Amino acid sequence: MSRVGDRLLGLLLLLLALAYGWSAQQWPEPFGSAESFGPETFPTILSITLTLVSLFLMFKPDPDEAWPVGKSALEIVMAVLALFVYAGLLELLGFILSTTIAVSFLSWRMGAKPLHAVLIALSCATGVFLLFNYLLDLPLPLGF
Amino acid sequence: METIQYLMDGFAVALTPQNLMFALIGAFVGTLIGALPGLGPANGVAILIPLAFSLALPVETALILLTAVYAGAMYGGRISSILLNIPGDEPAMMTCLDGYPMARQGKAAEALAISAIASFVGSLLGTLGLIALAPILAKFALSFGPAEYFALFALAFATLGGITGKNPAKTLVAAVLGLMISTVGMDISTGTQRYTFNILKLYEGIDFILAIVGLFAISELLLFIEHRMKGNQERIKVGKLQLSFKEIIRLIPTTLRGGVLGFIAGVLPGAGASLGSFIAYTVEKRVIGSKGKFGDGDARGIAAPESGNNGAASGALVPMLTLGVPGSGTTAVLLAMLISLNITPGPLMFTQNAAVVWSVIAALLIGNLLLLILNIPMIGIFVKLLSIPTHYLLPLVTMIAFVGIYSISHSSFDLGFMVAFGVAGYLLRKLEIPLVPIILGMLLGPEMEKNLGHALVLSDGNWLALWSSPLSIGIWIVAISGLVLPTLIGKGLRRKMQADVKQETASLMTIN
Repeated sequence: MSRVGDRLLGLLLLLLALAYGWSAQQWPEPFGSAESFGPETFPTILSITLTLVSLFLMFKPDPDEAWPVGKSALEIVMAVLALFVYAGLLELLGFILSTTIAVSFLSWRMGAKPLHAVLIALSCATGVFLLFNYLLDLPLPLGF
Repeated sequence: METIQYLMDGFAVALTPQNLMFALIGAFVGTLIGALPGLGPANGVAILIPLAFSLALPVETALILLTAVYAGAMYGGRISSILLNIPGDEPAMMTCLDGYPMARQGKAAEALAISAIASFVGSLLGTLGLIALAPILAKFALSFGPAEYFALFALAFATLGGITGKNPAKTLVAAVLGLMISTVGMDISTGTQRYTFNILKLYEGIDFILAIVGLFAISELLLFIEHRMKGNQERIKVGKLQLSFKEIIRLIPTTLRGGVLGFIAGVLPGAGASLGSFIAYTVEKRVIGSKGKFGDGDARGIAAPESGNNGAASGALVPMLTLGVPGSGTTAVLLAMLISLNITPGPLMFTQNAAVVWSVIAALLIGNLLLLILNIPMIGIFVKLLSIPTHYLLPLVTMIAFVGIYSISHSSFDLGFMVAFGVAGYLLRKLEIPLVPIILGMLLGPEMEKNLGHALVLSDGNWLALWSSPLSIGIWIVAISGLVLPTLIGKGLRRKMQADVKQETASLMTIN
């Protein structure tokens, strides 16, 4: 079993810890505050802790989990893109339309029949829209 | 006696029609969430926080709603364990062992009823324990200074992985990442901009509700897409309930033992509900000995872990309410709820927000009674809902997450941020980095930093002040052993838990 995952993780965390700790030292000394405890104290402690743990991870990594490859990796990337698009289009297209698109796309990719997916997504989106706008008084965007 | 007076006041608040209605809704929705495979209590409460928040409910009502969801989710977890052999969350795992065989023998209705009664008794015992223990602990905690608090926060992180946790180094990584996120934004005491990269959105820090919903709900969806369950589960019919009063009486000792053990496991830092149900089951097996048919559908094998995990769920509220230090994932999410409602948990809450605390405790009792009443006649509805295919369910849950976050922020940027947290959550879960310490770090970070600052200012910058009092030394010792012990004994214990489960499922296979 390969142990690349944890070594890579450790390396990334080490870089993060160093960058995080370094930038904490760059902040200007706040005017007139107690010198024993400033805004950089706590981040510095965190940076040191993370540095130590990341070194430990690199030297004692766990065996890797199975990562998705090929088709299932593609599915995940598509789902993530769909979610970002959903977030971006929600105000532009309105709640009902954007939700129908996003939910039916996800349902379809997860194994639902396309027509069923669209119908279920549309009816749920409309239901939630009506519930929120009229019953709960939490306006969702209508779009356009 | 003071306690009883407070509790009565709590009941007065919780029993108003509006609050009662919200408790009922919460109990119902919670059971649903718990019953759906893969959506545990932490997930459920997380998704509902933004909604409770944006509805602008009064503090008590919002908390009653979410407490009822919490209690309901603990109940619901058993339904999918018994009928599908899929635990809704980790504590429900032990219920599968005898629940599923019993359901296959055509006694699904009995198994569900027994588990409902055991859950009720476990919760009742746990809540009574909470009522007795919490005020005492809160009074004791009033003597804590900043150094003790700082140690206590360290203790919370050290033990969060739990005795059964995998790699303590990864728990630590998660905790530090959470604390780092909490430092983003303007420093409270000096006004220094920290890690804001001149992005206006980041000046007020990262909203933890958004992070929680992203980390839990969105990553769940992505994990599901990766695993794409087979779905073709054998449907088990729920027959007519035939449970005699005598049988219930026979289960009482088991249920009481389970509830008490569970409560103790829940109160202890780092143990939590999983260990509660595990201990309750194992002890019961040992007490009954070879007279039982554990693993082949013994009713006591359902009663013990169910009462254990519900007792633990109430027990876990003790450290959360009195010290502000949650002992489990779900209580961490409840803590997020309190903080977002501007209530600082901790000993002072019992004096400053007494009405809130006691109405929540009263709501817990009422919620459990409602759940017992709801669960026996309405079990059919929940069973039906279980048959909704996951490929519709998870996208719709995602939609609810979007609606929730949008209704508090009205910003597409925040939605995108939530998705980014979801992707991060997915990657972290693949790397076996637990998510709960991240949440806890984000929640406790500001308090932890404040207490460290106070301790250092009080002692003129002497770092030794952090471990100068006997109490703080004691807490540090427990914290360090909490981090070290799992590596020594945790492996064996975890292996035993897995071996038990495996062995039982193996014997199940041979029977069928």
